[in-house]
Amino acid sequence: MPDRAAAVGHRRFGRVRVAGPHGPAHDGRMACGSTSLWNGEATWFCCGNAWGPCAAAGGGACGTCKSSKLQAAWPNASQACWDITRPDLCGEKLPRRGCGSVMKVRHQCSGASVCVTVSDCGPRTRSFCSESSCCDGTCRTNRVIDLTPAAFSAIGSLSTGTLPVVIFE
Amino acid sequence: MSPAVTVAVDLAAPLLALVLGTAGAGKFFGRGGPRSASRTALARLLGGGDRAARALRGLGALELLLCAALLALPPSVVTGGAATALGAGFLGYLGYARRAAPGASCGCTAGDDGPVGGRAVIRAAAVLAGGVAVALARHPWWIVVPSHPAAASGAVLAALAGAVALAPDRWRLPWRRLRLRLTGHPLDGTRAATRVPVAATVELLERSLAWQSAAPLVRSALLDHWDDDGWRILQYSGVHGGGGGARPVVVLFALDAAASRDGVREPAVRVSVLDADTGEAVALTA
Amino acid sequence: MSAYRTGDPLDRRRFLTAAALRGATVVGSGVIGATALGALDADAAFAAPLRSLDPAVADATFVEGRITGIDGGLLAVAGSWGTYARVRVTAATSVWKVRATTADAIATGDGLYARGVPMPDGTLAADAVWVNIVHLHTTVRGIEKTRLHLAHGSHEIVGHVLADTTSVSYSGAAPTADLSRLRIGQDAQVLGAWRPSDDSVELVRVSVGPGAGHHR
Repeated sequence: MPDRAAAVGHRRFGRVRVAGPHGPAHDGRMACGSTSLWNGEATWFCCGNAWGPCAAAGGGACGTCKSSKLQAAWPNASQACWDITRPDLCGEKLPRRGCGSVMKVRHQCSGASVCVTVSDCGPRTRSFCSESSCCDGTCRTNRVIDLTPAAFSAIGSLSTGTLPVVIFE
Repeated sequence: MSPAVTVAVDLAAPLLALVLGTAGAGKFFGRGGPRSASRTALARLLGGGDRAARALRGLGALELLLCAALLALPPSVVTGGAATALGAGFLGYLGYARRAAPGASCGCTAGDDGPVGGRAVIRAAAVLAGGVAVALARHPWWIVVPSHPAAASGAVLAALAGAVALAPDRWRLPWRRLRLRLTGHPLDGTRAATRVPVAATVELLERSLAWQSAAPLVRSALLDHWDDDGWRILQYSGVHGGGGGARPVVVLFALDAAASRDGVREPAVRVSVLDADTGEAVALTA
Repeated sequence: MSAYRTGDPLDRRRFLTAAALRGATVVGSGVIGATALGALDADAAFAAPLRSLDPAVADATFVEGRITGIDGGLLAVAGSWGTYARVRVTAATSVWKVRATTADAIATGDGLYARGVPMPDGTLAADAVWVNIVHLHTTVRGIEKTRLHLAHGSHEIVGHVLADTTSVSYSGAAPTADLSRLRIGQDAQVLGAWRPSDDSVELVRVSVGPGAGHHR
């Protein structure tokens, strides 16, 4: 597997930071938050005028959402947003964090983390009350954050769908 | 006008009253209030959910009033004209809503959350056409119905069919539910399925300590999986070691193929790490 | 290691199965031992130090777009916002398209998400690619033997039921192949594969909540 060997060798010579399309939040481990904000389940969604059913999603509630950026949807991005997501129906009194807020989302067990910017409203917490994701015996309940594919795949596999996470700001 | 058309035109008043009565009652007595009204394009037109809610309620009252007039008064240009104006107003509003707020709910039939679609436009056009018919009608419906029972029941059936076809999705769901209840669940055949989906095995793995321990090595998502003698093998690729000693590895997990987290709280997972080039086991302590 | 190197996938799987079963067994919160021939020192392998390694994917780069060309293991990808990328798929790259599969299943016109390592030649050496994967919040509008009718925002989507693949998670329980408890009106999160040819979705996993559809 020569290609693979090259990729591994590339890693071998230190971490190469390529200025990706994601801007300064590209490095998931940069210090973008250390104060605990919330914990729960993370899911993923697509946004922006991308392929498939995503084409209709547009730029999201903030108008800036793109699947390829490290972004997230927060259930309390505004009052109108809250009226749709209603996390309070599942007992989650999430604080208001509007468009542009920056959060660090850390996988509860692997420790992999990613910095995201709030760019949309979601997930629809009320539809999945008391659902939980667990690892190593600890469970996180209720869907509290939706990540773009770029952000979700940085801490887990897209085919998994949900992850237990701890959120910092 | 032929006799059949005359009868149909004379029966327009009660049918239109039925449509306006249902829609009006939904708007006037609905509990949605400002919250659901704020999702309509009307909120944008009037500048706020509260105003939109009041406007919807007022419109509901108007529709109920017109419904009562259509039922109680003989057909006239006044009631017909009012209904025609209402239908034209609906059409104008829907046109505005489609252009101004394409994703917004129309608020047409109270609680209809979907955006403005073709059915809403046809409903508004039907109200307009009904209004014109009432204006042209010559006899009150309570005289026409007893004298033409067959035509009247035919008109009612046609109107019901039209109502079902044009009803908002939300109103069609009870019918579909009823149909499933009568004919049985189409997917009942899967009830006895004993196969544990691969997704369930992956979920069991990802919640285990084994996964947590090995995850730092893993770079890929699930690469391959297969069942062998009661075991389900899940294969990933990864990298072991840092600096000059980094090597591509194959990470293998073996779990009970019949286990999912509903039956097993703490799964036994076998973990192996092989050198991807040679297939030899990798000593992780190196 | 001839069985490992052989081109026969069955031989290779047999070899890997044997290797997997020789591995250390980890149960719940502890290692209960490696079996014979275990090259792993179980305690050392799964003790704390491994956890302090860098998270696997934090240094990854992400690519999104439609596949415009396939040349061997190299995918040409047109991003949805005018960017272009070349994604290299190797034997170590996981490929998801409805299920874990190989690069042969990828077709021009497919949508793609890829995570990997940027190479000096400008390509992305992919660790994982997900082809046509979608994760949609929908409402079940109709149920048939081979498909579900789903409302996704203002759009109707046809979701195809795949006999050997589709699973449902009810109220957070483990995914099951029993689809008979799906109800019309339920809110359902759908993980599936978009079909570019007819804009429908092949259903892989459907999640429905408790009393979904009742909260308004």
